[in-house]
Amino acid sequence: MTVVSRGWNRLTLPGKFLFILVPLLIVATAALIILITAFGQLALDTLAANLPIVRFVVAATVILLITVPTAFLIIYMEMKIIALMNLRIGPDRVGPFGSLLSVVHGLKVLMKEDFTPTGADSVVFTWAPVVVYLASVMTLLVIPFAPGLYGADLNIGLLYFFAVSGLAVVGLLMAGWSSYNKYSLLGGLRAAAQIVSYEIPLTLSVVGLLLLAGTMSLNQLVENQQGWFTDWYIFQQPLGALILFIAATAEANRTPFDLTEADSEIVAGFATEYSGMRFGFFFFAEYVNVFIVSALFVTLFLGGWNAPFALPEAWQVQLSLDPASFNIGLLFIIALAPVVLTLLFAAPFWLVSSRIKWWQALLIGFVLANVFIVTLAVAWAYIGLNWVAGILWFMLKTYVLVFTFVWMRGTLPRVRIDQLMGFAWKWLLPASLLNLFVTAAAIVVIGR
Amino acid sequence: MSFVPGLGIAKGMALTLRRFFEPKATIMYPEERADVAGKFRGRLQLLYDEWGTLKCETCFQCAQACPIECIDMGGIDTRGRYHIHWGPPETYGERREESALRRSGRTVPDPAFRPYQPIDLGEVDRILDEHDFDPAHMLPILEATQEAYGYLPVAALKRISHRTGAWYAIIYGTATYYGHLRFEPPTATDQAAAVERHRPAEAAYLAALGSALEGSGRAGASAGA
Repeated sequence: MTVVSRGWNRLTLPGKFLFILVPLLIVATAALIILITAFGQLALDTLAANLPIVRFVVAATVILLITVPTAFLIIYMEMKIIALMNLRIGPDRVGPFGSLLSVVHGLKVLMKEDFTPTGADSVVFTWAPVVVYLASVMTLLVIPFAPGLYGADLNIGLLYFFAVSGLAVVGLLMAGWSSYNKYSLLGGLRAAAQIVSYEIPLTLSVVGLLLLAGTMSLNQLVENQQGWFTDWYIFQQPLGALILFIAATAEANRTPFDLTEADSEIVAGFATEYSGMRFGFFFFAEYVNVFIVSALFVTLFLGGWNAPFALPEAWQVQLSLDPASFNIGLLFIIALAPVVLTLLFAAPFWLVSSRIKWWQALLIGFVLANVFIVTLAVAWAYIGLNWVAGILWFMLKTYVLVFTFVWMRGTLPRVRIDQLMGFAWKWLLPASLLNLFVTAAAIVVIGR
Repeated sequence: MSFVPGLGIAKGMALTLRRFFEPKATIMYPEERADVAGKFRGRLQLLYDEWGTLKCETCFQCAQACPIECIDMGGIDTRGRYHIHWGPPETYGERREESALRRSGRTVPDPAFRPYQPIDLGEVDRILDEHDFDPAHMLPILEATQEAYGYLPVAALKRISHRTGAWYAIIYGTATYYGHLRFEPPTATDQAAAVERHRPAEAAYLAALGSALEGSGRAGASAGA
């Protein structure tokens, strides 16, 4: 036994890891610094020269990444809200208020066996969830989250949205066909019939809006709705908004139109043979769809990222606070502000009541200081940064709509398949045509 | 204003939204436990003593009390063969005949059966009229009925159920809950008289038994007298 091996054996397990990792980290940092100094300017120039490509890649990556936490959040909302409406408590074990349960669900799905039935068309079987998932994720590309915060401002944004979300039908049919199971095939056909039927009123319901707005760019549509909330298109197109809402519910396969995978009645429709992460992608796509449908409704009819009020110019605070202007003082502020604020907030508690011990007062002070700092930071960002205010309003409106979808799922019973189809063709389609003709006539008469 | 489209949806949504804010009914089981009901009689399972023998005495009380006849058992037969059963009744011998009757759909002769005793319902009707046929006054009604008849005849309970609209099962539950209400004539003599009235054959048997045991001091002697 040499000295080296004895020394190595005396290290604990974390020690062994650190012994390898620390030198590696030092080498990697040094290499990175050298690389940046040598090629940094070149890389920046190349990126700047190809800004559209960079913008596209970044947007695509971000959009692909934000769908996962969005889906987790909506799954959690669904579990929790429906539980509360059932007089239950719902998830409360994993994470604060059980909020990590959907993450655990995701991990569970990830660890399950990824099963392909014998006789299945394995290529199509594998690609079907990808198509379904991408069809919903790609629509996010044109949704304006805030002023200047969108993947692409296409002048045919709305058309692109409906075209790409229509791709989901292909994925569903692929899943049903390739499963080598007649019930899956029937489920896929049934899902396709529903989604294709509802796509017609869905698309027709916004034509009146397009006549009014004169543009298909979602960004332009949002900018048209600036001002007070009375400028939102929902007040000019109430019938169109109602039809879009109902048809979008059916498009996203939500209750009362969730016949494609009616949990309590049929097994899972087209997804019967799927398991593991491939099933997870169908599942994710459904919840991302809820978000997307809500976002589309907000964008078209609820003013997008516009605040529901427009304060007069005189009221708007011009905040020109540049943190860099403090120079070295900034360092002191960052270092001292938490301590000073903690003591400041702790002092009244400690002074007022003798029953509160000093460490309890400090704890309260720390929490309050944090709340204060976060509130201040958010307020500063809201006033100073246009896109923060935009994204706050957009997310608020969208999640109110998501709540409504969950609320509907907690309330409404599922319709029958013939009622579903009859409703689409006998009521929604004529209503959307009526909406279109009335809007067109109004435009001709008023001459807007 | 009879039919407004979407009114039902709006009502349902309002209901669930109200439920959303109401206090929750969940009991967080491992941490907190619900109170056990006062009528809870413990777990339904056969217990063993420290020598490993079953504590069950095969008294059939549980089987007789079981309202849905789910308890069924055998026991030690006359030759001392030890076989306790539980499970479907048709799987063991001593119940085979009866269960065969059950499965064939014929009525099962019940040795404990007593024919329906018609009584004079005028008293019950008077009591009910006094209490205005109000099921909320069930306890006073039952007490007055017991005072009038000496006990609570089934016919009177049925009459009360019909006239007040309360479920028979609820009235029966109320009556069984209170110790001072009874379904049999109160004393031994009354009981004997009732037996004589309603079951002449049994009364004759008891009388014969009493005369046969004359002077031996057995309790059964006074029953038929």
